[in-house]
Amino acid sequence: MAINVKVLDRPIADTSYLRATVKGMALTLKHLVDPHKVTVQYPEEKWTLSPRWRGTHRMLTTEDGTAKCVACGLCPTVCPANCIKLVPGEDEEGNRYPLVFEIDEFRCIFCGYCQEVCPEEAIHVGRHYENAEYSRDGFVYDLERLTAQTHPVCEMWDPADPKGE
Amino acid sequence: MTAPMVNLTIEGRAVAVPAGTTILEAAKVAGVLVPHYCYHPGLPVAGVCRMCLVEVEKMPKLAPSCATTVGEGQVVHVYSEKALEARKGVLELLLINHPLDCPICDQSGECELQDYTFAEGRADSRYREPKRFNPVEDFGGDVMYVPNRCILCTRCVRFMDDLAHDEALCVQERGDRASIGKATEKDLTHPWAANVVDLCPVGALLSKDFLNKARAWELDRTASVCPNCAQGCNTIVETRDNVVMRFKPRTNTEVNQYFLCDEGRLDYRWLNRADRATQPMIDGVLADWEEAIHAAARLAKGATVRLVANASLSNEALYLLKRAFGPGVITVRTGAEAPLPGASDLALRADRAANATGAEWMGYRRVSAPLEGLGAGDVLVIADHDLTGVSAEAVSRAKAVIVIGTQVPAAVTAPNVVLPIANMAEEEGTFTNLRGRVQRFLQAKAAPGMARPSWFVLADLATQLGQPAVHFTAGAVFDALAKAEGAFAGLSYDTVALKGKLAAGATAGARA
Amino acid sequence: MILPTPMLLQVADPTVAASTGVFLIATVVKMLAIFTLYMVGVAYTTLAERKISAWIQDRHGPNRVGPWGLLQVAADGVKNIMKEETFPGDVYKPLFLIAPALAFVPAMITWAVIPFAAPWGSPWGRIDMVVADLPIGFLFTLAISSLGVYGITLAGWSSNNKYALLGGLRASAQMISYEIAMGMSTVAVLLLSGNVHMSQIIDQQVATNWNVILLSVAFLLFLVSSFAETNRVPFDLPEAESELIAGYHSEYSAMKFSMFPIAEYANIITASGLMITLFFGGWDIPFTSWDNVGPHTGLKSAITFAFFLLKVVAFVFFFIWIRWTLPRFRYDQLMALGWKIMLPIALLYIVVIASAILALDATGLSRGTVAYQGALFAVNLVLLVLIVFVLDRGRLISPAYSRLERERVARLRLMAQQSDLATSRES
Repeated sequence: MAINVKVLDRPIADTSYLRATVKGMALTLKHLVDPHKVTVQYPEEKWTLSPRWRGTHRMLTTEDGTAKCVACGLCPTVCPANCIKLVPGEDEEGNRYPLVFEIDEFRCIFCGYCQEVCPEEAIHVGRHYENAEYSRDGFVYDLERLTAQTHPVCEMWDPADPKGE
Repeated sequence: MTAPMVNLTIEGRAVAVPAGTTILEAAKVAGVLVPHYCYHPGLPVAGVCRMCLVEVEKMPKLAPSCATTVGEGQVVHVYSEKALEARKGVLELLLINHPLDCPICDQSGECELQDYTFAEGRADSRYREPKRFNPVEDFGGDVMYVPNRCILCTRCVRFMDDLAHDEALCVQERGDRASIGKATEKDLTHPWAANVVDLCPVGALLSKDFLNKARAWELDRTASVCPNCAQGCNTIVETRDNVVMRFKPRTNTEVNQYFLCDEGRLDYRWLNRADRATQPMIDGVLADWEEAIHAAARLAKGATVRLVANASLSNEALYLLKRAFGPGVITVRTGAEAPLPGASDLALRADRAANATGAEWMGYRRVSAPLEGLGAGDVLVIADHDLTGVSAEAVSRAKAVIVIGTQVPAAVTAPNVVLPIANMAEEEGTFTNLRGRVQRFLQAKAAPGMARPSWFVLADLATQLGQPAVHFTAGAVFDALAKAEGAFAGLSYDTVALKGKLAAGATAGARA
Repeated sequence: MILPTPMLLQVADPTVAASTGVFLIATVVKMLAIFTLYMVGVAYTTLAERKISAWIQDRHGPNRVGPWGLLQVAADGVKNIMKEETFPGDVYKPLFLIAPALAFVPAMITWAVIPFAAPWGSPWGRIDMVVADLPIGFLFTLAISSLGVYGITLAGWSSNNKYALLGGLRASAQMISYEIAMGMSTVAVLLLSGNVHMSQIIDQQVATNWNVILLSVAFLLFLVSSFAETNRVPFDLPEAESELIAGYHSEYSAMKFSMFPIAEYANIITASGLMITLFFGGWDIPFTSWDNVGPHTGLKSAITFAFFLLKVVAFVFFFIWIRWTLPRFRYDQLMALGWKIMLPIALLYIVVIASAILALDATGLSRGTVAYQGALFAVNLVLLVLIVFVLDRGRLISPAYSRLERERVARLRLMAQQSDLATSRES
């Protein structure tokens, strides 16, 4: 019967509460007087987001303002969180287009696979983080909402460092 | 009778095949799929696509494996450098004018050009010139033609010529302008014409019915049998989100080869009907299953029962109905028979019911007026029958009406008991086709509401009526059926399997 | 033996105390002024806590309400008053309602006996700069401060919540334990000053030296006990949020909840005031004596008051600083520290310091001399060295880490060596 006994045998200096306290207080005092603060004054100051930041989605449009999406169904297929709802349809000219395209941003895990898989470069994850809504329903983005958004989109990789090295 | 066997080596695997077999088929025996477009086992060999080129030792040139028969001692290399290089070239040329519109192409996901290009093709194209463009053409029937995607394998032309014997299609123009054209004044209205959609290896021929409805990879596929006529073509039921999206033929060389008629393939929407009976009911009031079965049993016990059954019910359901009420009557809707002349014994049959043969073997009578002679004190049991052409007054003559079905027929205004059952796509079972072949179909989707499989409901009901039928699976019901009915003797789900089996009744000529 | 009590203090006319009328008016004025100042001080201590904690954590702290966030306290007050009052089911309402007040009032009352400035020889007679110059001032503080525990314990008990109850029980046990050490540590002060009159204790320190020099060990004990008495980190076990939700005030909301933080900060200020009075010479300005001799003008009172405030601010800062540095004790550590370390040291210290005073007085040295004070300081220094370098070797806080448990370590190591599967082996 072995007992795993971890014998703690610390130096005296480490076991003295009062000395450790003084050390700790010196440390906190150092930070207290240090003028460098990490807080970002949010509404006035904002983060500079990485070009690879993956936020809520945006659907890019063609010159005439319609979504680039052709409802090929790759994004709902690749989506690991199953958050994309797509119903394909056909317009007067027989072109395939998304009749319904909804992304449940609550379900989304922001992996960016949808952007990566999209053959039309239509759906993108956004470089953007201000998503607050007054109701849960507001987080199911429909096609209108997705195309109306204007925030910049993710680059997926840094052009200067495509392999992420 | 048996052809002499030929021994050869394909990709290092020794195989023995009958003389006269092509290398491509021999390779299938060896477990190697040689890429091909124009070749189809159900069609005559054309040898136009050059995709199936393989290297055969001691042959100076690459051989088209679809058109080259095997020879003794041949050594075949499917994946040799030379063969791969040749096929890569073929693919590059095919893709010169093939648009890269996979995202909007219905064939995407089940496209042979996509698959083989992914497996063996170049990663990019060296072709810089604009691609050929031709507008989409409506071929009539259910078929739409997208010439840009066509690779001119001529499978469709050969099908129409050699199987349908209706020369509606041809290759028009020559060279890079070539495309498939319709013969003058002709449309693809042949009753089997939609098979060209299945045959087309790319997205050039598309089903208008299925256009833009679903992606191939979203569909769940279930082996089934076409319920729309007595031929019993083997099918694949393709569903998405519990909705049947389409029927596809399932290869069975004994029954339908590789084909499925237009009427059968397009008649699937009734499987998705929303106006179904979903709750057991007693006198219009929702009830639970046990109460409803008891109520039905009370009504039927001791009474004269008139059983009207749907001839497309499974063997299992018909057997249990017979046990509960004795054999009843069936009606069979008929239509024009439409054969596929190039295939033996394959036609859209006049009997547009899946299981009339099985019903008749079990003693059901085929009648045209199911309620004729219904006595005033009789109990009417309607087993999934729609009572088309029957008036409500005729039904009201019955003392009580028990509906066991997917829907309550319009003629039944006040059913005493409703027992909702699953339709054929929602349960497991067997049909007997007109040649006496028993064939299984599997469950493809879930039944709505509280509806239960027919054999489940009827086993309970038969038990309540003093005919103990305690079965827990459809297979067990079939085993009991095989024991009780001589025509089905010796069969079980295992022996029937997915290709079906001729029943004893067929060989004994028991067909009524 | 009558100990000499030097009377350096002189008033405008020491024989003429203020008349009753003046005394009453002055007392009312002092009460209003001190109460106002005290409450504002408490309010801004909460802001100081948030600001200092932020700075220590490299943050900015509240800075949105008013310049530098100075109006944050007003916003907090308004918020707390406007919030919904909640009464959980089956609380015992009378106590539930009275407990927040009970927690706050003792801290405030204690303040009445703390002198906050040099007396003012006003034209209407001498006015002592203390709300109530009780002759038994120190005993009064001890008596009142022990009432503070009722607020917390009753809050915990009446909340009908097991976490609150545990918090309340912890508070009562903790406060009783540390009150003993606290009381014992002040015995040394009383021995030296020979009086329990707050003003007289200050006079004694003015005459000799601050007690923090003469009675350093007592100060250390008193300081630690003050932290325990105010339920501040590392002694904030009654509200230990990681184990008891919010402890005794889990069920409180709105202003009733707010009373508990107010009480806590009030206690901090009061404890600071007490420590200043007992060990830091009260309002005395160090290294000068002009403030201690007459004439006692109003200006002098004002300057000494400012100095007193400065000391309070320094102590409040110290309290906050400690809070954002140290982690919380385990309950067994807390009890061990109180009963096994603090109390014995306090008792021993009484003996040592009483002997030292007796011996030094017997030598005939005057208490004002450097030799006398030096000798007393030397005794304290020796004790401090013993505490820090001999006693404080892990045993103080956690027996598990103790160097003094050598035997136990050796025994465990032997067991480990005898075991084939031992994991802890030294090469």
